[in-house]
Formats: sequence, C-alpha cells, structure tokens
Amino acid sequence: MNFRECLKNDFIILDGATGTMLQKSGLKLGEIPETLNITRPEVVKKIHKDYIAAGTQIITTNTFGANRYKMKDSGFSVEELIGAAVRNARDAADGKALVALEIGPIGQLLEPAGSLSFDEAYDYFREEILAGTDVDVIFFETFTDLSEVKAGVLAAKENSDKPVVVSMTFEGNGRTFAGVSVASAALTLEGLGVDAVGVNCSLGPDELTPIVEEFTKWTNLPVFVKPNAGLPDPNSNTYNVLPEDFARSMSRIIDFGSVKLVGGCCGTTPEYIEKLTEVVKTKKYKKAEHNKDTAVCSATTVVELSEPRIIGERINPTGKKLFKEALKNNDIDYILSQAISQVNAGADILDVNVGLPEIDEKQMMVRVIKALQSVVDVPLQIDSTKPEVIEAALRIYNGKPIVNSVNGEEKSLASVLPLVKKYGASVIGLTLDENGIPKTAEGRFKIAERIVNRAKAIGINPKDVYIDCLTLTVSAEQEGCEQTLTALKRVRDELGCKTCLGVSNISFGLPNRELVNHIFLTMALQNGLTLPIINPNDEAMTGAVMAYKVLANIDKNSVKYIEKYNNAKPEKPKVISSRVTLDDAVISGLKNEASGLTNNLLKDTDAMKIVNEILIPALDKVGADFEKGRIFLPQLIQSANTAQVCFDEIKKHLTKTDGAPVSKGKIILATVKGDIHDIGKNIVKVLLDNYGYTVVDLGRDVEPQLVVDTAIEQNIRLIGLSALMTTTLGSMEDTIALVRNTEGLESCKIMVGGAVLTPEYAEKIGADYYCRDAKESVDTAKTVFGS
Amino acid sequence: MTDITINREEVLRYLGGADTKPDSSMYALLDECEKELSDAAAAKYLYKKVKLADSGLLLGEDIKKHLAGCEFGYAVCATLGASVDRLIRSAQISDMAKAVVLDAMASAAVESVCAQVDEIIADENKGKYLTWRFAPGYGDYPIELQQKLLTMLDAPRKIGLCASSEYLLTPSKSVTSVLGVSESPVEAGRRGCAVCNMAKTCKFRKAGTRCEF
Repeated sequence: MNFRECLKNDFIILDGATGTMLQKSGLKLGEIPETLNITRPEVVKKIHKDYIAAGTQIITTNTFGANRYKMKDSGFSVEELIGAAVRNARDAADGKALVALEIGPIGQLLEPAGSLSFDEAYDYFREEILAGTDVDVIFFETFTDLSEVKAGVLAAKENSDKPVVVSMTFEGNGRTFAGVSVASAALTLEGLGVDAVGVNCSLGPDELTPIVEEFTKWTNLPVFVKPNAGLPDPNSNTYNVLPEDFARSMSRIIDFGSVKLVGGCCGTTPEYIEKLTEVVKTKKYKKAEHNKDTAVCSATTVVELSEPRIIGERINPTGKKLFKEALKNNDIDYILSQAISQVNAGADILDVNVGLPEIDEKQMMVRVIKALQSVVDVPLQIDSTKPEVIEAALRIYNGKPIVNSVNGEEKSLASVLPLVKKYGASVIGLTLDENGIPKTAEGRFKIAERIVNRAKAIGINPKDVYIDCLTLTVSAEQEGCEQTLTALKRVRDELGCKTCLGVSNISFGLPNRELVNHIFLTMALQNGLTLPIINPNDEAMTGAVMAYKVLANIDKNSVKYIEKYNNAKPEKPKVISSRVTLDDAVISGLKNEASGLTNNLLKDTDAMKIVNEILIPALDKVGADFEKGRIFLPQLIQSANTAQVCFDEIKKHLTKTDGAPVSKGKIILATVKGDIHDIGKNIVKVLLDNYGYTVVDLGRDVEPQLVVDTAIEQNIRLIGLSALMTTTLGSMEDTIALVRNTEGLESCKIMVGGAVLTPEYAEKIGADYYCRDAKESVDTAKTVFGS
Repeated sequence: MTDITINREEVLRYLGGADTKPDSSMYALLDECEKELSDAAAAKYLYKKVKLADSGLLLGEDIKKHLAGCEFGYAVCATLGASVDRLIRSAQISDMAKAVVLDAMASAAVESVCAQVDEIIADENKGKYLTWRFAPGYGDYPIELQQKLLTMLDAPRKIGLCASSEYLLTPSKSVTSVLGVSESPVEAGRRGCAVCNMAKTCKFRKAGTRCEF
C-alpha cells in the first residue's frame, strides 16, 4: 500500500518522539542523534520496531537535523547519514509500515530575519531529498518559517515524485516564532500542492486544540497532528501528560473533523502511541465543514475576499518620473516608502509592478518582493507581462499572492495558468484576447468564462480567478461604462467569481476626474466589484469603499468607519508662523513649516544660496550639538529629515527651472558581506542625503564585487563600508582589497565605520578614513569632495 | 513568554545627549516607541545548568579567569523575537528617528530579560554566589561559541533563536552567555572596560564617563 492509498483509511497512526527514545537509549550529551544511524543502527531500528508494535503505520527516519549545515561537524556526509537512516527504517518496517523521510529546519534563519537565501535553503533540502529516495512519503516537521518550508516543498516537488506532508510549530498565541499564522500556513501549503498539513511540537494536545481547530477551518486537506506529551519541566525536561490523558485529548481533537494523521512529538513514547491507537479504533473520520471564501495572504496576514478590498496601485513606474528614477538608481527605500504609505492609508493588498525597459525586471522584481515582505504585512499582487518575471517572484513570495494577470489569449493562458497552479496563487483574468477588448458585456463575459474553464481544467480552484471586466475611458466611449458594470454583475452572479477593476482610467480626458472616479467606484461596488485597484492615498476613494461597507451592511455597527473618521485629526493648517525661520525649522525638526518656508524663499533667493547659507549651517549646528551631547540622536535625525524635505522642494524647483542639480557628489554605502545589521549605515545615509550628497545604497550583506562594479559604473569617488561584528571585519578587508586592485578605481576613497572598528584597524585594512559616527562621515565627505 | 521592562536612562545613554535632559517631544517619542516595542516583543529565554569542566565552554583565558573556582555554571540565552527586528526595519523606512529609539530600547529590553534570568538562577542557588554573564565575543572568548551554546540549549527549536554562518544571532535582539556558580564570594562589581571590545573607541570613555557594562 502506498501513502496516497493509506490516506483513504479513516486514520493513519504515526510514531512518537525519536529524540526522547534516543536519550532513553543512552544518547550522550553533545552526541549528534543522526550519527547513531551509522554508529549504532540497532538502537535506531529498535525504536522503529517498538513504535510499529505499538500501532504506528508510518515510521519516520532518524534524520530530523540531517542537513549539511547541522551535520558539518558530524564526521559523516548527508548521503551517508540519510542513506543509513532509510535502510534502518526499511529493515525495521519489514513491509509492515511505510517509511517517511523526516526533514527538519536547517537551523539558520532565512532572509530577511537571517542571512540564508531562499536558493541556499532549497539546495540544503534538495540534498536531503536526493539522499533519501527509497521512502514512501516526505515529512517536513517543526517548521516555523513559511518561506523555509516553501523552499523545502519546492525542492521535494522538483526532485522527487513522493507525496509531501508539512507540519509547522505554533506557539500558544496561534503563531510561529516567525509570526506565521495558521491560516497563512494552510492557504500557502495547500496552494503548493502538499498532501496533508498540520502541527507538531511546542505544546501538549490540549494547548494545541484551538490551533488544530483553526487549521481545519482553512484547508480541505487531511490534517496532521503530533503534540508533545504536554509541557516540559524546564529543569528535569520531563513532560506532564500521561499516555491515557494524551489519548483522551487526541480523541477530542479528532472530533473536530479533518484530522487524519495522528502521532506524538517530544516526550511521547510507544506507550503513548499504543493508547492513541486504541482510542482511534473507536473513531470514524469525518471532514470538517467550513465556509471560508477565497483568500490571499502573506506569511502573517490573510485577506479574505468576502468583502471589497483595496489594491494599492502606486508601486508602478507608469507615468511616474520619481518612481522610474528610483528603479534606475536601485533606490529600494523609495519603493518601500510608497508601500508603507499605501498600507497606512488603507490598502489591503499592494500591486507590484517594476517593469522598465532599461532595467533587469526579473532581478528587480525579486529584490523588491523580498524587501517589501520584510517591512509590510499585506499580501502582494505580482504584476508583470513576462512569465519568467512572474515565476521568479512566485518562487520567493512568502504566502499566497495574486498574479496580475492572464487574459483570454491562448499564449497567455498556456504560459501563465500553469505557474499559478504550480505555486498556488490566485490570478487576475483580463477580459480581452487576440481580438482586443470586446465592446459588449456579453463578449467580456464569454472570455471570463473561457479563462475560468481553462483554470479549472488544470486544477486551479475557479474561486481563485478574479475577473477584471476592464474600465474604458468614458470620454471616448460613453456607452462603455454600462457594459463594464453589466459584465461585473454577470461574472459575480453567473460565474461566482470575484472581480477587480482599475478604476481611474474611467475619467481620462475629463475635468474634475476625482468626482467621476469616485462615483464610478461606487457604481462598480454596487454591481459586485470586489477588488478596486486605486490610489489608497486618495482619501475620497478609500473613503468611498469604507462608506460603501457601512451602507452594504458589511462593516457591522460601522465600527471601522467610526474608528477612522471619529479619530481623524484635522490636518495641520499650512500657515507659516512669521516668527519661525528656515534654520529654526531645520534645527527643531519642523517638517511642515520647513517645506513652506523653503518655497517662500525660492521665490526670490538662489537655490544654492539656500543650501549653502541656511540648510548646511543649520545641519552643522545640529551636528555640533549632538557631538557635545546637547541633543539626542533621534533629534539629529529629525533635523536631517527636515532638511531632506527642503532639498526635495529645491530639487523640484530646479527641475522646473532647468537649474543645475544640487548633488554635491555620489557616495556608495554598503554593509559588508555576511553582516545584516545595517541601522548604523542607514543613519549615515540619512545624514549624507541631507547634506546634499547622492547616496547609492547597496544595502546589507553586500558582495565585494557589487561594490566594485557599482563604483566603476557610476564613477564613484567615495565608498562607505560598515561592519558591526568582529566576524565580518574580514569581509570589509576583502572589499577594500578588491577596490584597491581594480583598475580605474585608483582615486576612489574608502571610509569605514562600525561598532567594533578602531582607527588603527581601519588603517591596517587599508581604509582611507575611519568614521566614529554618522556626523564624522559627513566631515569625511566634505574633505573628499571639497565642500 | 515574559514581559519586558525598559530602563529609560539606559536608552537615553545609548542615544547620546549626555549633556542634556530630554524635552517633551523626546518623551512623546519614547512613549510611542515603548508601546510599539512592547506589542511586538515576544521575549523568551532558556537556561541550563552545566558541569563546566565537561561543557566544552571553557575556551580561551578570559572565561577561565572569569569562572575560576566554579564547578557548575549556566548556559543562558534570550531573545525578543523576530517581530522586533521587523518593527525596527520598517521604522528605518518610514521614520529613522523612531528606528534609532526602537533599536536602543530593544537592546535595553533584552538586557532586562537577562536580568530576570539572573534572578531565577540566583533563586535556584540560594547560599551560593553567581558571577556575571560572560558572552562569546568578550575578550578572547570565541564568538564561534554562539553556535555551541544555542545547540546546547536547543534554542533554534525551543525559542526560534539561531546563529548565521558568521555567528550573528538571529533574531538580532538576542544574547547568549555563560555564568558561573561559586561556593565562595566572587569578585562583585562591573564587567568593566578591560574585556570590552569597544574600549578603544567608546564615546563614553572619551567623554570621561562609562556605561553600565
């Protein structure tokens, strides 16, 4: 019998703890449990046999930590350890039980929390999977990072045809250490096509009960449950739930429905499995009922599309000069600030489009998605016309995203839908095809139907297809609006699909566009629009969605509406006090005042004069005060940020009047390879920015070669490197050496800083300048650029 | 999970301003950050009693000196969890001034978690004397021991605390350390500048003051 046939049984009994049993069999402190597969195979086999005798139907190999990272000091290779473990299990099973290849977390955190990349994680898992091919199923257990286990599942699916089961470990608050919610785990893993999902470890059966219940609400898959034998005593490391009580609690968990694979984790022994087997015999499997709507998610946040949700449209270079500049300059922070402001304004999901002919869209998309997911919790919509860009983003996306988009053209259907299926995403279906956009609602409905049917045919849940009925410009085709609205209504009522619309196109060419957009949005919502794609910073549009939810009886008791508008602070009047001067405003960190004052001055004062005679001296005063301990670091930064507002106004003014750019010089900043602590570098960036230098920020964990390539490409005269730890000073030295040995960079200066650096060490590794703090980096820049 | 406490004086010391008192807007910023940090933090710790001679933890001269006369010791680790890193990262995009306050507060908070562990260990060793916590990276105590301590405490699995290939702790607002239990009084007092890697460039020393290390 194979695993998938086994799933047709009411229940499958798994085993209990391996570690607990190995300790009982005399595992020494510090001895690596996986090495026993080779050094004492009889001990491992005995444990398997004891579990089978107790009723276990699938035993797990003794390979929880058998990855290259954890085994580096074991004296054995991954192939040797896993090969031996699988042979031991097969021997012990002797055809009476199935064998699962057990895979645990690598033991290092993935980006952005740690420095391990998704691709490196994938390689670790692939190695394990290839070393253990003679198994019936692959179990991923005890994972806390959804991104890590996604790398594992992809490695399994792409290198093996075995079924895959994933179990994650949650805390009492229903989240993993990495913040992953139960619902996010269920949606993402079911999307990736695993055979069962569930929970193990961390808690006893009673504490796990609400977490299992939540799982059964969010998945259609069989659920896997392996609790600990209660909670451990921190000193004796013994567990507080006895076998009978364990079995009784498991019986209650089984009654929720959907729970099919049951066993035990830490502290459980064959005795627990024996009692569990007895209880399970008296039970009948049933599937839990649930009525969750289609949903998308990040690792931490699920957005159910049971009501209208706002998709923020601002991460898109089309028609946005500043955004295009940011993409060309690799200014990821600008893109992130756009994301944060949209989320604060009420966006539920963010569309991400970074397509620009001059840049490598695939590389940029991956970089931006990773960066966005490190600072915002909302789910993302991957927006590209290129399937290879979509796939690269789908691979590393942490959660269940939306793909924007597929359309009725054969080429699009054939290339996009398989990606949506493989990575378990939702998809926007545009109602156009080879023949363009049908004029009538009927024509668009037909295409929608075709897209949904094709999606269904390859196994995509039709509810995960969101149809875009397309907004046409009403000033060009006035009859078009009604067609769009009719199509919306039909898609909702007849196909049962969610819908989306880019709203603002409706008003193109008309005066007072906001008014038309606003009314059209309301009409569309009334006709079944689920996902308006809008600028959430536009108060009238976001407000219309909120008001609609009150009137449509979605926002119960108007709670959210009242919360938003009752607490709304009246906007600060932009009246400029005649007593505040620009240098006062910078010194006191008054952003609003500073912007107005700068504009007033620009009417009759030369821009460079404002920079050199007001802004820089004000910043110098603040810097000196900070050095002398008269102000705190956040106050220094607030002044710098206020100066930034002034510089932005000046830049805008100069662009209008074709004046010379105000940049005083271009500087590379990077936190060196291996180092992920970058707050110091970011403080330096803020200060340099605000003294009028252009900073090319390469981020953290930066390869030496990237520093050199960028320096040559952008003709850089000053490079700033930071390292926080003694262990990463070596990377700093390597980076400096590479710069020194590169032709064309002879005149390039290097400044270094970071907690553990000393002036002597800086000199020793060949740096030109040592900077004690951010203020000194500005002094260095002044020396290098002569202003 | 345990509550965090934040020593504001320590936070302000991290933020410079040795020669001044915070004004009302600084206080407002501190209040705002303290609330956000408390919401994000999921402080956790682990400790384990070890027989020092068999522990493999006595590498280098400084730790041997530090634990001289102690038969047993404790391996300790603590973390504020991954959400705090995320909070600080996000603040670095939207409001750098807030980010530096959060960063300083988080450092103070993880220290407060360790102080709680000290108390628990002291309770378990009534009548005996404890040395202060000595961490990998102090003096000649190898940073590579981060990994060994974490493995010994099963920290990746139990509290989600790992080390990167370069031995950086992740999540970043975390510590590992070793302290000794002695039958006779140990030299009390501060760790002092002698074992501190920052001694040469320390801004407190330059200003003629010291931190609480």
